[in-house]
Amino acid sequence: MADILEIKKVSKTYNSQSDNPVIALNDVDLNVAEGEFVSIIGPSGCGKSTLFNVIGGLIDDHEGEVLIEGRPVDGAHKDVGVVFQEESTFPWRSTLDNVAFPLEIEGIDKDEREELARKFIKLVGLDGFEDHYPAQLSGGMKQRTAVARTLAYEPRIMLLDEPFGALDEQTRMLLGDKMLEIWAALNQTMLLITHNITEAVQLSDRVVVMSYRPGTIKEIIEIDLPRPRSSEVISTPEFGTYVGKLWTLLREEASRGMVDEEAAIAAT
Amino acid sequence: MNNSIRRIRLATAFGLVFAWEIIATLGTFGILYNDVVPHIWKIAYAIYEELITAGFYRDLGITFAEHIVGFIVGSVIAIFVGIWMGTSPLVRGALEPYLNAIGSTPKIIFLPILFLMFGTGIESKMAKGSMSAFFPVVFTTTLGMVLINPVLIRVGHSFNLNKWQMISKIYMPAMVNPVITGLRLGMAITVIGVLVAELKFADGGLGYRLGIYYEQFRIAPMYAIILIIFAIAAAANVGMTRLQDRVNRHMMPTDRKGNKTTATASGGLGVVGTN
Repeated sequence: MADILEIKKVSKTYNSQSDNPVIALNDVDLNVAEGEFVSIIGPSGCGKSTLFNVIGGLIDDHEGEVLIEGRPVDGAHKDVGVVFQEESTFPWRSTLDNVAFPLEIEGIDKDEREELARKFIKLVGLDGFEDHYPAQLSGGMKQRTAVARTLAYEPRIMLLDEPFGALDEQTRMLLGDKMLEIWAALNQTMLLITHNITEAVQLSDRVVVMSYRPGTIKEIIEIDLPRPRSSEVISTPEFGTYVGKLWTLLREEASRGMVDEEAAIAAT
Repeated sequence: MNNSIRRIRLATAFGLVFAWEIIATLGTFGILYNDVVPHIWKIAYAIYEELITAGFYRDLGITFAEHIVGFIVGSVIAIFVGIWMGTSPLVRGALEPYLNAIGSTPKIIFLPILFLMFGTGIESKMAKGSMSAFFPVVFTTTLGMVLINPVLIRVGHSFNLNKWQMISKIYMPAMVNPVITGLRLGMAITVIGVLVAELKFADGGLGYRLGIYYEQFRIAPMYAIILIIFAIAAAANVGMTRLQDRVNRHMMPTDRKGNKTTATASGGLGVVGTN
């Protein structure tokens, strides 16, 4: 399979006036194959969000290069669809109009875009809620609306920034299953940013472990669990082994992050 | 609505009427202020007399025109200034202290200046009206701009919206609610502003009419005007609230009984601006 995404030597430094410059990303290299499900995991402050913004084209003053199908990323673009961690549905739009939003922007006419939107609403399992407004939906349903909206954009790569991070563990597991279904149905390349180890193992082909400041790739773990996969996979011993392995790698990074954070609080 | 609440409201109304009539009756016997509290039927008759008098409609028209012009001028300027302040932290930082200071000052102190600048005719009332309308609208618009959920802006950028699409598809719909809240408050405060100016110095308008009756000690027609103004202001507020609820019908979470919560109960007139 060809690599759809190539991240080459990407570095990003934030210069704040008072403190020392923060190196958020340092020489990050990563290739993602078409149709692959890759998770990026790391402690807070490992540059996950920066990497997310770089791939999404929302930050462009970085060093190195991001190529999608060989073309360099320059600004927000049609190739990458983004799902944010926060609730990001438009409260003034119904589920149908929310999902149809990117199609509306592209100037697709009403009948056609609503038909397409209904397809993606069904895919995320929200059929029957087309005319509901976000205020009437649960947190999980709102996030699924956001997922459907990004799917409707038909991006080459779907970039998910902890989309279920604010949800409870059980809902998150079930939505993970939903994501696997969608992933399989669309052969959609997905890149998930998370700090949840179970979620990363449950969903991914590969898990990229990032180090705490400066953000570099510490190790890439192949998750060799059978596909099609569902949340039931967590009861297998292999699953536990992967979780343990990841935690061993993350433990040191997370502790460094915690020490730094506590020092910063003590300094104020 | 709860039945017992309805009963209490009805009882309150009856109680007030009853107390009023007692005081009015005491008045006719010279026990309390004579004629200060006229019988309700006298007020009702005075309302009827007002409604068949051409002069009343002339004054109503004047007040209406002053209010509408003042309200539109004041709120349109306020919306533009509010958006400007909302988009530019620099402008906001520069203007906000002054607006806060003037906003919390009773605008009535500027009346003499307005009379000097615009004369005692309808122009000064329009100026006062627009001054009254300006503050609640500018505050709610600015706040609405500042408080737009930033993730919605990021969603817009991620879908590659151009500048005009950002405005029309994200900023404008997100601003509808705060702006309407401001307009509702502005409309109510403009009524006060215009009437206060008319009471002070005018040659027409409902406030002027009210002042004349007061000076001539024609108490029943005075109450008639007060009640008519009250009814118009209340109706306008109900209309604006309905409009707001209509706009918001989707944004309001449903309560446990499945009823939509409404904006009807929002008070806070005094917080936004004093007259």
